[in-house]
Amino acid sequence: MNEKTRNFLVNRFQAYYSQAEIHLPPEHISREWGFISFSDSSETFMKRHIAFGSEGEITDYLKGMGPSHSYYSVAYYEYPSAPKMKEKNWQKADLIFDIDSDHLPGKMNSYAEMLENGKKETFKLMEFLLDDFGFAEKDVHIVFSGGRGYHCHITDPSVLHLESPERREIVDYVSAKGIDIERILSTREVSGDAGRESAQMMVFPSGTEGGWRGRINRYFVSFMKDIVAMDKAEEVLMGFKGVGEKTARKIIEVFENEAQVEVLKGGNIDVLSGLNKKVINTLIEEGIKKMSAVVDEPVTADVKRLIRLPGSLHGGSGLKVMSLDINELEKFEPLRDAVVFGDRLVMSKVIKPFAVQMKGKDIEVEQGEQELPEYVAVHLMCRGVAEYG
Amino acid sequence: MEERYLALYPFITEASAYVSGLGFSLERLITSRAMDPARSRGVERVLQALKGDIEKPQFLASDDRKVLIELLSYPFSRILVSCIGDNFLIRRYALAEAVSCYKLLHSEPYEFICSIASDFHVDVLFSDHLFDIHFTDYIRLASSMKALEWKLVNRKMQKGHVYISKEELARLLQEAIRDRIQGSLPLDVSEDICQMCAPYISQIQTELQQIKENFGSGDFGAVESSMFPPCMVHAMANVRAGVNLAHSMRFALTSFLLNVGMPVDDIIAMFNVSPDFDLERTRYQIEHISGSSGTSYKPPSCSTMRTYGNCYGADELCSRIKHPLSYYRRKTWFNRHKHEASQQLPFSEKDNE
Repeated sequence: MNEKTRNFLVNRFQAYYSQAEIHLPPEHISREWGFISFSDSSETFMKRHIAFGSEGEITDYLKGMGPSHSYYSVAYYEYPSAPKMKEKNWQKADLIFDIDSDHLPGKMNSYAEMLENGKKETFKLMEFLLDDFGFAEKDVHIVFSGGRGYHCHITDPSVLHLESPERREIVDYVSAKGIDIERILSTREVSGDAGRESAQMMVFPSGTEGGWRGRINRYFVSFMKDIVAMDKAEEVLMGFKGVGEKTARKIIEVFENEAQVEVLKGGNIDVLSGLNKKVINTLIEEGIKKMSAVVDEPVTADVKRLIRLPGSLHGGSGLKVMSLDINELEKFEPLRDAVVFGDRLVMSKVIKPFAVQMKGKDIEVEQGEQELPEYVAVHLMCRGVAEYG
Repeated sequence: MEERYLALYPFITEASAYVSGLGFSLERLITSRAMDPARSRGVERVLQALKGDIEKPQFLASDDRKVLIELLSYPFSRILVSCIGDNFLIRRYALAEAVSCYKLLHSEPYEFICSIASDFHVDVLFSDHLFDIHFTDYIRLASSMKALEWKLVNRKMQKGHVYISKEELARLLQEAIRDRIQGSLPLDVSEDICQMCAPYISQIQTELQQIKENFGSGDFGAVESSMFPPCMVHAMANVRAGVNLAHSMRFALTSFLLNVGMPVDDIIAMFNVSPDFDLERTRYQIEHISGSSGTSYKPPSCSTMRTYGNCYGADELCSRIKHPLSYYRRKTWFNRHKHEASQQLPFSEKDNE
């Protein structure tokens, strides 16, 4: 990034901050702040251990400096500006989750697709946070990071004092780490009827149970229902190891009978005795993978981390770090809604051809000097593929 | 709460308030003849803790005096443990106090368990044979438990509430009790007070020494732990006593044990008592040190050990070697040749570690 580009971006960021609505965290005077500026040195470094006494000081700083990245601490400190972490006197910290689309499994072809996957993962996380953990919607704040993913901030007083190992337990819960399938799907010896050997009965959770147990039942029942509803249900079922035509038909009968389905939901799966336990195990293991949310563990466990300020701009993309309501998330399109710059044309030197979807348009840019709408120019310059002028 | 309950659960807030309300001076507790039984019981508590379990008395309705003695023996035990100030003793004592209460809690009515829980700021609701606690309280209490079944992911949770059995709640409270007692020790006891307690202290110290020695000389099969240098013996005793080692010492001990031929699994088993034991991580680290990634590590030299403050209890042989592994080699050699060779011992070979 050359000096002209740097000056241009600082100027545009300052202009943004002069009218921006910044979402300050609760008790913002107890937070440590950190900023990275568009600097000329090859090494980026963060100015941190900063504290602000009022909202005005924060907005003035942003307007005056136009930093490329703006962060505040998830922690609340007695002395947030003390230069050594020990001297800050940690008091508590928000509970944070980071969904980084880069870390999600599967192949992703474009930036837009990657962000879409991050959104899906965020929905999975929300289900755990609201249903299992019982957080109120008002205490769960979703934030688009402006980069590759989503953050979730929880400010419910009950979690602020949790320490790192305890926060890791929460991550393990949403990502199903350490889940004991053997315990959930155990078998129990039952004494047989007269003349029969004792039999093995499968112990299965009921759909109304709390936690992963109930979730597993609900997944399994709905998964099987979906198969049975298919045109070629019989064939699909016979694809499972150990399932013949007779068993397949029996399974279909069970799922077509509402009363039987209710029995299954209650946790009694004896009616599916034709299904091999190994098959059920495999299906459930797959289900657990699908239902669990992939979050970045070290972020949640770090009770002193700096996190992006909602309302600020992400200097690597020029996009806005955006706070979202849960009901806004569904319709949120980061590459449309988090774009803050306008269409004014800006002379730019594009270093290499580049394609991106922004404001609902497929934008393809060739190498060389050209005029680009400001929102595209800023994005390209932030990503290091164009220079100003 | 009735006094006999205070005597059985002397660490709860109400019990300490009650004791201070009695107006006994510390000096009276330590010197008065009338307090002799309380002091004996205090010593007994600590000795029982060292050997295993603290036995709790059973009270009859007319046992007021016995109740008082039991109640006052607790602060006296704490003074003794504090004067000695040994980490291993503190851990052992706190654990024994907690375990003895866990055993009692089992048979208490649910309202009582709830009131103990509330002393630890844990709100518990009892309904339908289960105890309902908030997940934040649950993970706070259960995060030190290593078994898979205690993980939140394997619990029934709904809207932030976790449902557990009486037995499980008692077990979690044991952790809370241990934490509280361990965290409060050592007390800030003056030199004078400790002087006055000297006869009681020496009894405990003898026992403590005995137990520590037993810890130091474990059975390692082919590995001769009696040949280990004092720094490693000390570190091992600490590990087994559940004291967390500094990183540098953990590395030194692990690499030392690997180099003298202790199998990885045995080393893992030894670290299994560490308070922050994590099987996967420990195995990874130990295997890494043993050379799984291509580089195998030797323990640090004596001078490095000294730099990091890990040199402990250097003896005569230490003055002639520069490396913990040389200590082991010389001592085993010496031992082998003790009977065969004459008195001229070859301590002349050069160390090249």
